[in-house]
Amino acid sequence: MFKNKKILSLVITILTLSLVLSACGGSKGITRKNPADTLVVAQGADAKSLDPHATNDQPSSRVMKQIYNTLVASTVDMEIVPALAESWESIDELTWEFKLASGVKFHNGEEFKASDVKFTYDRMLASPSVSHILGPVKEIKVVDDYTVQIITSEPFAPLLSHLTHTASSILNEKAVTASGEDYGQNPVGTGPFAFDTWQSGDRITLKASEDYFQGAAAVKTVVFRNVPEGTNRTVGLETGEVDIAYDIEPIDKNLVIDNAGLELIEGPSLSSQYLGFNTQKAPFDNVKVRQAINYAVDVQEIIDVVLEKAGEVAKSPLMELIFGSNEDIQGYSYDVEKAKELMKEAGFENGFKTSIWTNDSPVRVRIAEIVQAQLKEIGIEANIEVVEWGAFLDRTSAGEHDMFILGWTTVTGDADYGLYALYHSSQHGDAGNRFFYTNPEVDKLLDIGKTEVDTDKRLAAYKEAQEIIVADAPQLFLYFSTQNVGENKAIKGFQLHPAGHHSLYNVTIEQ
Amino acid sequence: MHKYILRRLLLLIPVILGVTFLVFTIMYFTPGDPAKLILGESAQPAQVEALREEMGLNDPFIVQYVRFITKALTGDFGRSYSTNRPVFDEVFARFPATLKLTAAAMLIAIAIGIPVGIISATKQYSALDSISMIGALIGVSMPVFWLGLMLILVFSVNLRLLPSSGSETIKHLILPAFSLGVGSAAIITRMTRSSMLEVIRQDYIRTARSKGVAEKKVVNKHALKNALIPVVTVVGLQFGGLLGGAVLTESVFSWPGVGRLMVDAIRQKDSPMVLASVVFISVTFSFVNLLVDLLYAFIDPRIKSQYR
Repeated sequence: MFKNKKILSLVITILTLSLVLSACGGSKGITRKNPADTLVVAQGADAKSLDPHATNDQPSSRVMKQIYNTLVASTVDMEIVPALAESWESIDELTWEFKLASGVKFHNGEEFKASDVKFTYDRMLASPSVSHILGPVKEIKVVDDYTVQIITSEPFAPLLSHLTHTASSILNEKAVTASGEDYGQNPVGTGPFAFDTWQSGDRITLKASEDYFQGAAAVKTVVFRNVPEGTNRTVGLETGEVDIAYDIEPIDKNLVIDNAGLELIEGPSLSSQYLGFNTQKAPFDNVKVRQAINYAVDVQEIIDVVLEKAGEVAKSPLMELIFGSNEDIQGYSYDVEKAKELMKEAGFENGFKTSIWTNDSPVRVRIAEIVQAQLKEIGIEANIEVVEWGAFLDRTSAGEHDMFILGWTTVTGDADYGLYALYHSSQHGDAGNRFFYTNPEVDKLLDIGKTEVDTDKRLAAYKEAQEIIVADAPQLFLYFSTQNVGENKAIKGFQLHPAGHHSLYNVTIEQ
Repeated sequence: MHKYILRRLLLLIPVILGVTFLVFTIMYFTPGDPAKLILGESAQPAQVEALREEMGLNDPFIVQYVRFITKALTGDFGRSYSTNRPVFDEVFARFPATLKLTAAAMLIAIAIGIPVGIISATKQYSALDSISMIGALIGVSMPVFWLGLMLILVFSVNLRLLPSSGSETIKHLILPAFSLGVGSAAIITRMTRSSMLEVIRQDYIRTARSKGVAEKKVVNKHALKNALIPVVTVVGLQFGGLLGGAVLTESVFSWPGVGRLMVDAIRQKDSPMVLASVVFISVTFSFVNLLVDLLYAFIDPRIKSQYR
């Protein structure tokens, strides 16, 4: 095709030049491209709705967190503190009374009153997406304008934790009624930032509320941008277009760390990942097989290789910041010999064939591959099947699976949310217990934890329940995910919240 | 001519019916429960059941389809399962972004494709021809997301010339339009070249040359005009295709277009949204096709005489 080699070499030079060009480039301080009082935050998906009762997804919650307040809030250390409620007490085991802050205004100018709390929670109880967050709440009683009672049908100890959830945000009756079905695009709250505009698929703009009851925020405008491509969020930081980027991809972490103008903030999250067994299906009905797999997989290697160290080995179902966690549990360590021994005792000296199901999340697929390789050591031939998400949920809740990879986020920070749905025998299938795990002892302890008002007794019940669960090993315990955020060094005061919904109220921009 | 346009427009009705039926059927029979997807991993079965009932998902397939189509005929495609907004509001909100991107990409593709194709054809087997054909080959085979990322790396990260994501200004448009346009440019180049080569060997070109017409005029007037018909078809098809298929580019550059809206909707089994965007894209595609066919008439009088 080429008449002489000169032209060929010219073409090659041009092609390589473009690559070389892209490889160089320095990293000094990064000049922000946004106005001095405008904070631009990039996250991986657009919000679905800003109606707290319409959706429970993280991108939406992260925006709603800025617009609304809850009655009580949880700090980044998972402590429960006053928000719209100034104080509260448990009157009897079914009734909680809250004294509300006075002089709080909604963004539409309406004053916040007890009737708004009743309206909000009544509406929430009627919403299939989020009613479960209120658990056994039966009735909301308005005592006076600034006093409200929440009455449950059975004792419900984790109520306060549940009220910190963004889904429990307080709405204004007038605003909700006025917008009707379009309320999700016209939210009105009491929070530090008021909704301004929403360009679908692109950005949501919020303006600081000047009469926020705890004082106006330093930042005047917050823009949530939808940047689905992980690498592109990092690029946005590098070019100064983005001030804060949520969820930096594992492979981009070092780019952010090595860049003098950027900072990577890492912190714990309330999410854990696991590889579950179908405990009603042979050979996983044999506890020794389940334990053997726990010994056979080197979880630290998964964390190092797949997550670039962004995780912590899970020794038990709950991470340390969750109320009810048990840090005394030693869990399983990587010990192939012990695994082989257990396999032999179980009668599977020569291993068996099985399958691992996962959805198409690249991280989960890679985890499956490492587990597959390590299980080979003890003779288990695991076939990886990537199943489309909808089908994955359907088929695992029907119990068609052998092993599957899934995660759970204990959003409320309370053991009840993190254990009941996963391990109680009443929750088989859809409800969350896709291990089809049944242990009457665990059921009893989880019921105590749910209804017992005495904190110490709850704690004891949860600690014991977890010891039994770890010994029964309905799953291969993988890791507690670490979450991260990349930010421009000019951004100060940002703090990661373990639940993943970070408040931007205290953020300032240094000039 | 008017009759022809009317006939073509009437043909849209069976197209829309066919498309909705096909998409509805596929969405219905693919695994995954929309109610479950809306409620998330930690939903209780009772809530799922309640939501299914509310959404009418428990009715038989045919009941659901008829309900959908009767409403659709009045222009009501329903509300999105995931955002609860009327679906066409969402599609129309996204369409200008897609249209802008596609138009810019096509402009770039034509601006590159046609001149390069002509040069290639007139200088067949020269080094210039080889380079442009290799370029076209690379352009066609280069994955658009890779090109996009490379462009971002060079122009956003290193040279700091252009923004990497977003859609507010003309500057935001350059990189996505270029990475989307390159593939089409390559196809147009190849089409122009082969079409020109065919025309250039025709008797009337030889006649023109022998009359002593300047080579430039031979190429630009006599040859090009006749070579353009297949090129117009390709441009039209590319344009229609890009309108609905710019998903990868839209993702790489965080461009808020219809393609991504549709893909996100498919993932979430948001049937009303999928149906609305597919119907919208197919109607647009049909319109573009009609426009292309009408354009022929202006380029080629022989075709014009057939529109009766």
